[in-house]
Amino acid sequence: MTDGTIINPPEDRPSSLWRDAWRRLRRNRLAVAGLVVLAVLVFVAAFGPWLTPYDFLSQNLDARNLPPSLGHPFGTDDLGRDVMSRVIYGARTAFLVAVLVTVVAVLIGVVLGAIAGFYGGRFDKTLMWVTDMTMSVPQLLLVVVINASLKQPISLWMEARYMETMNPLYRNSAIIDFVLVFGSMALISWPPYARLVRAQVLSIRNRPYVTAARALGLTNRIILTRYVMPNAVGPLIVAISAGLGTAMVLESAFSFLGIGVNPPTPSWGNMISDGLRVWTNYPHLLLAPAAVLAVVTVAFNFLGDGLNDALNPKGQK
Amino acid sequence: MTAPLLSIRNLTKEFPVRLGAFGERAATVHALDCLNIDISEGETLSLVGESGCGKSTTGYCVLNIQRPTSGSVIYAGTDIAQLDDDGMRPFRRDLQIVFQDPYSTLNPRMTIGEALAEPILFHGLARKSEIRDRLHQLLADVGLSERFASRYPHELSGGQRQRVAIARALACQPRFIVCDEAISALDVSVQAQILNLLLDLQQKYGLTYLFIAHDLAVVRHISDRVGVMYLGRLAELAPAAALFVQPLHPYTRALLSAVPSTDPRAARTRQRLQGEVPSPLAPPPGCRFHTRCPLARAQCRSDVPPLREVVSGHSVACHAVSSPTATNWEHSPA
Amino acid sequence: MNALLDIRGLTIDIDRDSGPARVVDGIDLTVAEGESLGIVGESGCGKSLTMLSLVGLLPNRIRATGGVADFAGKDLLAMSSEELRRLRGSQIGFIFQDPMTSLNPVMRVGAQIAEALVYQSGMAKPAAMERAAELLELVGIPSPRDRLMAYPHELSGGMRQRVMIAIGLAGSPRLLIADEPTTALDVTIQAQIVDLVRDLKDRFGMSVVWITHDLALIAGLADRIAVLYAGTVVEDSPVDVLFERPTHPYTRGLLASLPTLTDKPMSRLPSIAGTPPEPGRRPPGCPFAPRCALVTAVCTTSVPRLAPVAGSAPGHRAACFVTAGEGAS
Ligand SMILES: Nc1ncnc2c1ncn2[C@@H]1O[C@H](COP(=O)(O)OP(=O)(O)OP(=O)(O)O)[C@@H](O)[C@H]1O
Ligand SMILES: Nc1ncnc2c1ncn2[C@@H]1O[C@H](COP(=O)(O)OP(=O)(O)OP(=O)(O)O)[C@@H](O)[C@H]1O
Ligand code: SF4
Ligand SMILES: [Mg+2]
Ligand SMILES: [Mg+2]
Repeated sequence: MTDGTIINPPEDRPSSLWRDAWRRLRRNRLAVAGLVVLAVLVFVAAFGPWLTPYDFLSQNLDARNLPPSLGHPFGTDDLGRDVMSRVIYGARTAFLVAVLVTVVAVLIGVVLGAIAGFYGGRFDKTLMWVTDMTMSVPQLLLVVVINASLKQPISLWMEARYMETMNPLYRNSAIIDFVLVFGSMALISWPPYARLVRAQVLSIRNRPYVTAARALGLTNRIILTRYVMPNAVGPLIVAISAGLGTAMVLESAFSFLGIGVNPPTPSWGNMISDGLRVWTNYPHLLLAPAAVLAVVTVAFNFLGDGLNDALNPKGQK
Repeated sequence: MTAPLLSIRNLTKEFPVRLGAFGERAATVHALDCLNIDISEGETLSLVGESGCGKSTTGYCVLNIQRPTSGSVIYAGTDIAQLDDDGMRPFRRDLQIVFQDPYSTLNPRMTIGEALAEPILFHGLARKSEIRDRLHQLLADVGLSERFASRYPHELSGGQRQRVAIARALACQPRFIVCDEAISALDVSVQAQILNLLLDLQQKYGLTYLFIAHDLAVVRHISDRVGVMYLGRLAELAPAAALFVQPLHPYTRALLSAVPSTDPRAARTRQRLQGEVPSPLAPPPGCRFHTRCPLARAQCRSDVPPLREVVSGHSVACHAVSSPTATNWEHSPA
Repeated sequence: MNALLDIRGLTIDIDRDSGPARVVDGIDLTVAEGESLGIVGESGCGKSLTMLSLVGLLPNRIRATGGVADFAGKDLLAMSSEELRRLRGSQIGFIFQDPMTSLNPVMRVGAQIAEALVYQSGMAKPAAMERAAELLELVGIPSPRDRLMAYPHELSGGMRQRVMIAIGLAGSPRLLIADEPTTALDVTIQAQIVDLVRDLKDRFGMSVVWITHDLALIAGLADRIAVLYAGTVVEDSPVDVLFERPTHPYTRGLLASLPTLTDKPMSRLPSIAGTPPEPGRRPPGCPFAPRCALVTAVCTTSVPRLAPVAGSAPGHRAACFVTAGEGAS
């Protein structure tokens, strides 16, 4: 609605709360370190195929289980594949999954939470009931159950579609894995976002500036999107940062348990699970993916803390 | 007399609240009790009274920003007190308010320019190409330079925020504005400038004001009529001139005697109100002022004094006042 | 009398993208033990920022860049945030200008006052609640015990302000800094608050700095008045002298803008034409020169210093080439 027409000389850019938060974040060393680590991760995940010296699948049976060396900084595995290349590919998997899962979960959570918080009523009650139910069951269990109960019917359906259309797409079982596992991850991840947004909206919708917007005659849609939500996203950003980290760990956990990404597609989880079997002989096979996963988790934690401090400056005083 | 712009009939507002350490006791705040006023087009009606007596609540209920518990507000033939948000929307442009607390009523994530442009664009009062000029005009009117358009509320001083709140109410080109302590945070020179602006707009466009203020000199300066409120009820309603020359209600007299003077050596002949300050949580029966009134009699403790017109245009709610000349001031308290 | 608070040459800058912009430009103020100083001035001239700088609560990107502010012999501007935190409340009571934003909207007001007491004087929680009710009663809130349970939005504007006053007074401070504490209070309650503060001042020797726009109110409360304009003190005088002999053209303009109970209703009030200079864009000479009716050549080139007003009472100083100091006619 507003644009350059009202923005004034650039020498005096207004100090918006966002810019102030960004400034505070930049002053926090740990958060900046976390941000740098994650930026590297994103870069590596995005350009992985062009960065890795070896293909993650190419086997070299003459160079099996090599310890770290200049040629193979993280060594090679039992099939002679370069571990660093696989870790980099694992980053790709982890990041893709985390982003997809989080985007879907946040979209669902924000829309439902905002509507429930703003309008209240029966919709709100139902939503709270659903989130309570979902959040009271352990996540792993839920995914396993969803997985187990839906895998069969979906593969049957895919098979039938294949027979009908002869489209090879329906033959690809990796799609089933992806959709099922990560779809169900997204489905169990949205309730916390919905609750957070709802709580924020509930407290903000009674703020005097929202009343003032009503007094101007603005519609509910404008009030919700321009007055309520911009003031509610602070905690949401913190939650998203934490959520991305959790989703990565969750992806690894599922792959570790063999219900997530299946070999030969590299995932930190299945690499850790493979490495665990031989770790007394070849510790690098376990250490490399585990260390990277740990570093990334810590980086997300630092960033989350930093964001929290930057977005809630009251605690600072 | 022409039909009033707004007719307020039996306007009542009660707030349910919870008391006690664990909120275990329910109670009711009787903020507004059967208020009746007609506000005519082009006039300035001021409300004065003790802090917490229901002035802001009156403003909110008249504009249906808080839903009145009962009573009606007739504007343009419609009882707007009964409308919901959607029903109110067409009236909002005409009926504006300057909130008492300017900072908390400004969205912290919007620049001043965005905040002022919003109602103008929403109500289609200017095209996007004109908005910049319109904003600068508005800001200039309230004595702020155009550079404030790109600032955020937290970058402004208290008085600057208050002027933004005034500009926002004026942005819609309304017919009626509730000014709730709209000039209280301004230094007297800016205050004079804003008062002049309000008077100019009134002359030019026939604006009507419900002016809530505690500065009696300001009230006297700009009001046509003044309503004195005490604990949710009107105690006295009179033309400004008459009220300040000949206050009739005992509370009004006490209020006027408390006005500080700019001469520091002037002896303060303040009539101090004695007695227990009543609470809107449990308003006293009869006349709500009787706990502190120097004239209170038995009747005051049981019967609610009706608001009666004792001279043309001058109404008082007091058992002791029958006519401006034959007041019962001499009566000693019974 | 000893100076309890002694501010000399205080400067405050806003950190803008284009570089620092000066908001407060060399303020000198002293407050003696048991004295009350009234501060009036143009909206936006830096009154609140000056006071916030004393207790280390300046907002983001605004810093005190020069000068000293001695409080009981120690420079407030040089103190660590921990030292300042201990000073706030117990030694210096602060009443903020915006009650709604300074109160926690989701905490009952009784708990907020009690928290201040517990944390400042180590009172036990029940005793603090009891004291909180007393404080509410002192500031004239009816049914104080019931109101302890109210949330800020359930109170009227004036009641919120009085809750702020109660918090400011909770720690029995040596210095009370009140930033427009009575803007929403009717005259009777205002009088009650003024009496309360005057009583604390007389009984315990509390010093007071009171920012207000209400000249009539300050006339009855302050011993001395400082008039601020564009981040500088333009006049500083004992209270009765100021009203009798306003010297700086800005002060004169202020007093002339005041509506009184005797002027002609609905007439245009005289106001000072023009707007004050913005921080960082002050004119080279006297900051008031562009709006001043008495402006002379020297006013636009050099900055007048605060100087004793010729022929007036001692302690009356103004910063004006034309009406005060040397060269004044
Ligand atoms: N956080 C901020 N960022 C940028 N500028 C600010 C900020 N806070 C205040 N200012 C500016 O600094 C100047 C002084 O502000 P201050 O709040 O001290 O004024 P004041 O004298 O208290 O005025 P008032 O009487 O209106 O409250 C104003 O021009 C204001 O716009
Ligand atoms: N949302 C609410 N919930 C409960 N009580 C409320 C609410 N809003 C106002 N009140 C109560 O209603 C009464 C009247 O409040 P109102 O704000 O109208 O007073 P006021 O006359 O504007 O006072 P002031 O001059 O101090 O602003 C007060 O006792 C107040 O505590
Ligand atoms: S009705 Fe009685 S108590 Fe009320 S103001 Fe009149 S004399 Fe006083
Ligand atoms: Mg009010
Ligand atoms: Mg201020």
